[in-house]
Amino acid sequence: MTASRRDFLRSLGRVTAGAPVALAAGVAPALAEAAPVHHWAMVVDVAKCIGCQACTVACIHENRVPENAFRTFVTTWEVAEADRISTAVLPRLCNHCDAPPCVPVCPVGATFKAAGGEVLVDADRCVGCGYCVQACPYDARFINAETRTADKCTFCAHRVAAGLLPACVETCVGGARIFGDLADPKSTVSKLVTERAKDVRVLKPEEGTKPNVFYLGLDERFASRVDAVPTLWHPAAERV
Amino acid sequence: MSTEITELLYVTREPAWAPWAVQYFFLIGLSFGSFLLTLPGIAFGRETWRPLGRAALLGALACGLVAPVALLSDLNQPGRFLNFYLHPAGSSWMAWGAFFIPAYVGALILYALVALAPDFAAAAMSGGPLAPVRRLLSGPARPRLLAVLGLVTLTAAFTVALYTGVEVMVVRARPLWNTALLPWQFVATALAGSIGLALLLARFALGLGPEIDALGNRLLALAALVVVALGAAWFALAFLQPTGPEARALAQVGGSSRWFTSAAWLGGATVAALVVAVVRPVGTGWLTGLLALNAAWLFRWTIFVGGQDMPKTGAGLYAHPLALGPEGFLGIVGTAGLFLAVVVILTTLVPWSGSAEVARPSTSLVGA
Repeated sequence: MTASRRDFLRSLGRVTAGAPVALAAGVAPALAEAAPVHHWAMVVDVAKCIGCQACTVACIHENRVPENAFRTFVTTWEVAEADRISTAVLPRLCNHCDAPPCVPVCPVGATFKAAGGEVLVDADRCVGCGYCVQACPYDARFINAETRTADKCTFCAHRVAAGLLPACVETCVGGARIFGDLADPKSTVSKLVTERAKDVRVLKPEEGTKPNVFYLGLDERFASRVDAVPTLWHPAAERV
Repeated sequence: MSTEITELLYVTREPAWAPWAVQYFFLIGLSFGSFLLTLPGIAFGRETWRPLGRAALLGALACGLVAPVALLSDLNQPGRFLNFYLHPAGSSWMAWGAFFIPAYVGALILYALVALAPDFAAAAMSGGPLAPVRRLLSGPARPRLLAVLGLVTLTAAFTVALYTGVEVMVVRARPLWNTALLPWQFVATALAGSIGLALLLARFALGLGPEIDALGNRLLALAALVVVALGAAWFALAFLQPTGPEARALAQVGGSSRWFTSAAWLGGATVAALVVAVVRPVGTGWLTGLLALNAAWLFRWTIFVGGQDMPKTGAGLYAHPLALGPEGFLGIVGTAGLFLAVVVILTTLVPWSGSAEVARPSTSLVGA
């Protein structure tokens, strides 16, 4: 069992233990007040990512992400320095920011910060205006061509609620994605973020969005918009 | 040590705002500018401004009626527009816009009805199949009420100008939009475009002679001068303040020949309109009008489509070919068609040129 899964299950246990008894006693509101508050976060250890895109595929299958859209993706670069050529990778997803620019611009309050810190979209309320897509500095949102509403990574909130890890974390071959509760100081993500604070980076720190996706071993050149020779991929354009 | 980074794998993001958005910002801007143009002649009785003001009122109405349709079409869930009123979020400029637009369009319609009431009365006297409708809309000249309604509509128009500009300006994630000059550029290009529209409508919809060109071209030259000055200020800020928002924007569009072609065309059309308006102000209203309209539209195209062509994290530029369906080319043509249809309906129903002047005795109260 990976460290991520172990501490994730432990933190879930803190919430659910005793819940049936409390509910039977009719004290659900009291329980809700007393329930520990989660602060879900992800640490991506870039050195462990092999760029296999298993996370990309798992996310598409888990969340029925339509063609030409991605909730997560591993950007891959070739870096040529003198006589050395290497590959750099960067798994991207919604950063579930603590100061999310996408939330205040939503004209109908469909985009919101959930109690656990996830940034979610109420697809029944969303009018599909695309303002949140414009406001996200990470290009992490898109208009779902099938639901015609704003779409994005939810940290697999439906799986987390059922005691499972996000699909991308579950499937990560190298164990590069670690998911957990920042509110629990014993969780792996908490330890990594505090104990390896010098190595921890977030994407586009200049935006002041306070992301909850942290990167270990991220080359500074890839933290913001990358100055590179472009090779943008448009899946539908390649269909014959 | 030189480093070359090549992006091997990344994805294109589809633009969230379709050309419908360009059409909306274009039309609402024209309506705003056209309404301002009506004020001296229609609301405050300046006789020399009256013919241009009437042409502008037609433009303000036609654009004001079509713009919300374009806006609604840009929503991916247009049927849920009621959510704007059921769940308004005060932190969003777009949410405020949902209230400002109907307030402006409603006030504009009321203002136009009061302004045209004497014309309807005069036209109803001459009979015809539309006489019952015209009789219903007829009324005496009410200069004081018209002035008050003009000021109310002006307030609503300013809220629309404010929200449309700031709504785009606050998007920090898009450097091209996130400059303090943008709302002013929207206003200036809208004013130039609306003067151009009034010149075209005066000539081709209301059948007015080229004598209207002199005033229109004088105003157009002023508006074009402001557009050019704002553009120059934008580039000056980009070069003088290397860490400023304009510099961020220029750095991002720097490699885009498409963007520079659009910008050069926009600048060329504006300067050409300015030169023609100054050098030959009479008889050229159709030409300066077309140039100004072209520049106003192209400015919004460059901002919205050009802005969304720029990846926020990836390298290079997204390739977004213009779709031919309703989400692209047909949307643009459809909006233009709807605008023409509204102009035809309004010019059929409303006695813009003939009866208005027949009714001079009743409207002379508003004379200067």
